[in-house]
Amino acid sequence: MTKIKGHPLERREFLKLGLGAASLLALGSPEPVTMLRGQNETARKVLILGMDGVDPHLLKVWMDEGKLPTFRRLAAQGGFSPLRTSNPPQSPVAWANFIAGTNPGGHGIFDFIHRDPSQQSDPSKFIVFSASATEEAKRTLKIGKYVFPLSGGEVRNLRKGKAFWQLLEERGIPATIFKIPANYPPVESSQRTLVGMGTPDLLGTYGQFNYYTTVPAEINEDIGGGWVHQVYVIGNRVDAKLPGPANSFLKDQPDTAVDLRIDIDPIHPVARISFQGQEFILREKEWSDWKKVRFSFLPTQSVGGICLFYLKQVHPEFKLYVTPVNIDPSDPALPLSTPESYARELAAKFGPFFTKGLPADTSALDNDVLDEDEFLAMDNRILRESLDMFDYELGRFDAGLLFFYVSSTDQRQHMFWRFLDPASPTHDPALVPRYGAVIESIYREMDALLGRAMEKAGRDAVVIAMSDHGFNPFRRAFNLNSWLKENGYHVLKSERRLSEESLFMNTDWSRSRAYGVGLNGLYINQRGRESGGIVPPGPGKDALVREIARKLEETVDPKTGERAILHAFVGRDIYSGPYLEAAPDIVLGFNRGYRISWGSPMGRFSREVFEDNLEKWSGDHMGAPEIMPGILLANRPIRGESPALFDLTASLLALFGVEKPKELVGKPVF
Amino acid sequence: MNVFNAAVSGLFDLLLAPFRSLSPWIALAVVSLLTGFLMLSIYRRASNQDGIRRVKNRIKAHLLELRLFKNDLGVSLRAQGSILAANLKYIGYAFKPLLVMIVPVLLILIQLNDWFGSRPLRAGEQALVKVRLAEGYSPIETDLRLEASAGLVVETPPLRIEEDREVDWRIRAESPGVRELILRWADQSAAKKVVVEDGRLARVSTAKVRTNIWREISHPGEKSLPSDSPVTTFEVRYPERRLGLFGIGVHWLVAYFVLSIILGFAFKGVFKVTL
Repeated sequence: MTKIKGHPLERREFLKLGLGAASLLALGSPEPVTMLRGQNETARKVLILGMDGVDPHLLKVWMDEGKLPTFRRLAAQGGFSPLRTSNPPQSPVAWANFIAGTNPGGHGIFDFIHRDPSQQSDPSKFIVFSASATEEAKRTLKIGKYVFPLSGGEVRNLRKGKAFWQLLEERGIPATIFKIPANYPPVESSQRTLVGMGTPDLLGTYGQFNYYTTVPAEINEDIGGGWVHQVYVIGNRVDAKLPGPANSFLKDQPDTAVDLRIDIDPIHPVARISFQGQEFILREKEWSDWKKVRFSFLPTQSVGGICLFYLKQVHPEFKLYVTPVNIDPSDPALPLSTPESYARELAAKFGPFFTKGLPADTSALDNDVLDEDEFLAMDNRILRESLDMFDYELGRFDAGLLFFYVSSTDQRQHMFWRFLDPASPTHDPALVPRYGAVIESIYREMDALLGRAMEKAGRDAVVIAMSDHGFNPFRRAFNLNSWLKENGYHVLKSERRLSEESLFMNTDWSRSRAYGVGLNGLYINQRGRESGGIVPPGPGKDALVREIARKLEETVDPKTGERAILHAFVGRDIYSGPYLEAAPDIVLGFNRGYRISWGSPMGRFSREVFEDNLEKWSGDHMGAPEIMPGILLANRPIRGESPALFDLTASLLALFGVEKPKELVGKPVF
Repeated sequence: MNVFNAAVSGLFDLLLAPFRSLSPWIALAVVSLLTGFLMLSIYRRASNQDGIRRVKNRIKAHLLELRLFKNDLGVSLRAQGSILAANLKYIGYAFKPLLVMIVPVLLILIQLNDWFGSRPLRAGEQALVKVRLAEGYSPIETDLRLEASAGLVVETPPLRIEEDREVDWRIRAESPGVRELILRWADQSAAKKVVVEDGRLARVSTAKVRTNIWREISHPGEKSLPSDSPVTTFEVRYPERRLGLFGIGVHWLVAYFVLSIILGFAFKGVFKVTL
């Protein structure tokens, strides 16, 4: 295969380039000189380490204490500045700001979760993921119980605007983009890109683990992010099923499953797991390697995935954890990379690897399925896999852009913040000696990673370390929908069923003027927009928005006496761009220590507006953007007082001499 | 049977020795070529060559008849009937040499399976060791112990499965070479080779079996266990080997048959054989 600047060149592009160059020469055009100049520009190397959630305050403290010498060296070579995050400071929104170089009005991602106002009457369709949408085959042929698709289904990336690597590609500048969030499915490009946050598991969810236990007390059907199965040991043998994706070839779309047989030794803490012709032995407290599993739809149709097994306990009770079934990168059932062969190339070189968006199973830790050590073992594996691939990419990085993303910084801060925060409701001083340094240690790992990057990238390379947002404690949860109900903006059909139903199934839309969906969004139930809308658009609605925003900012937590919401931003005031229509009417910027409650984003109500956050998920970043900046360090001086994520996009294009398209709102900072 | 197995295995080891450092495709091509020669000479001697030639000519004649008299339904139907009859006769002629060839082919396939069916363990790789016991023996009551030579590690305690009369362990290969596992019970023991990849093609004997003619023939790589042993099978689960061809993994059996057929047809003229 023809290679240019370290990248394989598609035949189509080769012909295009060849024909273009030939015709230009024939016409005696000066353009080839321009192209040459373009090539010289691509000789510049820019390496960006995207460390999700690295907090400038923590970073500065540990830099000052001399614990992060490489960060300190980088800051001394160029600069260190807080990086203004998105509003709201959620990862998909923030990374989309960086990718598209705009605010959310320009790329259309306003939250992890959006709503489809035209589907208000259908709870199953009203609340949707913001970043991607899956559509089943439009035309099918039904024969008896079988359904045969006559057209292909589709997975769409809902982020709008051109990604910066597409802009670089137009100028022939190669880029490798490793696991950047908000890029699933990957946008069309011949650059090397591997999907990251937002990528589903094989079941199409954000990750469903399976946990098999003989302890009835552990059976809880209400666990988000996983299934707990009660199993029985009969004759030293456990029979179980590993659930797979729904079988869309059958009329009622029953779930597929694979039979698991587990044999345990009567005395020794060891078990043999067998399925689909595979057998392996695990000792208690041991993880398996990646195992391939296939779910069959029809004799000729099946789909493959990969998962890890963890034998938590053998005696006296049996406990087995299985990770969500990830899409197999060696044979991807859904798109994982551009070009398509890139994921397979990595799988061939490194073996199977985590492909699910945020791979660390925080749900399993939150629900005590995994303990802290077990979670860290998993996250270490995730980090190790990624770092091996980083070294590989760094080894062949000779021109253009290399962007590398790390999720462990974010995930560990979410789960271990309670050990840094004595005011956290889940703070356990007894565990502080054991886990109090977990966050610091991941910052140190990032320091080592940065060191390797700086050493290998070369003296002329621009090296940038960045994060999308910082971190805050999450002590108190605020149920926005309950607050709206208490203040008369939202009406339920039945007060008795208040906390029983989610997805607004108990809402009386004909009398509700506002509702909250997602982690920071509040919407007015607007006539003509929401299918059951009652508030007419115009000055009346605007006044209602201002009134709710004012009341929210005045809301005080009765337990602490603190304001829960630092700013209630009016969507139209803070966003600009072609996708403003989808923006929330109000965006909540929480105060330090506060976040939306667990139920409110999905339309669930609680008796109390404020509750203690009793989850291990104890750090978060849903606060007002001004208290949640990310980091920006570079070996080039940083200009400007408070650079923003979209400024970094403009800066990146400027470094390569690419003219900034008019849709991009940022300004170069280097 | 041990002597016979040792002789046949020794022959194959000798034959493949020069090719161990080369691509497995070369070794397989050489065996396919030699097998093709052997089959052609067996076919020539064991088949009725004149009869085969006659029946093939008859088929050709009837095919010509079909073309010439394609407008005459009666003649066409008669010709088709004759072609069918001639084909059956041809199959009959081919049956005898095939019957003669089945024994050497089976022995060759068993040997090739040892060389190409499984690949050696890689350093750091894990594998399952499975020991099956004879009827009447309980894996829990039979005190089986597994020891490993240098270069191998037994990673787990025994996992005893009463239902299957089986005891399993997990081992890990540490360094290249031919290693050994020792299985001990009461005052007896059995040794089993474990091959750890050193970059060269190697015979990989997956199982050591208790004396039994068919089981011994199908596991020729190692000396069998005594007939009174409580252990019937002492097995290492090696990974399956696939032969790489333009990025696709090809099963050795497919590769062998394709190569044998191609080479057989290519050399049938040299051996003056009518197939």
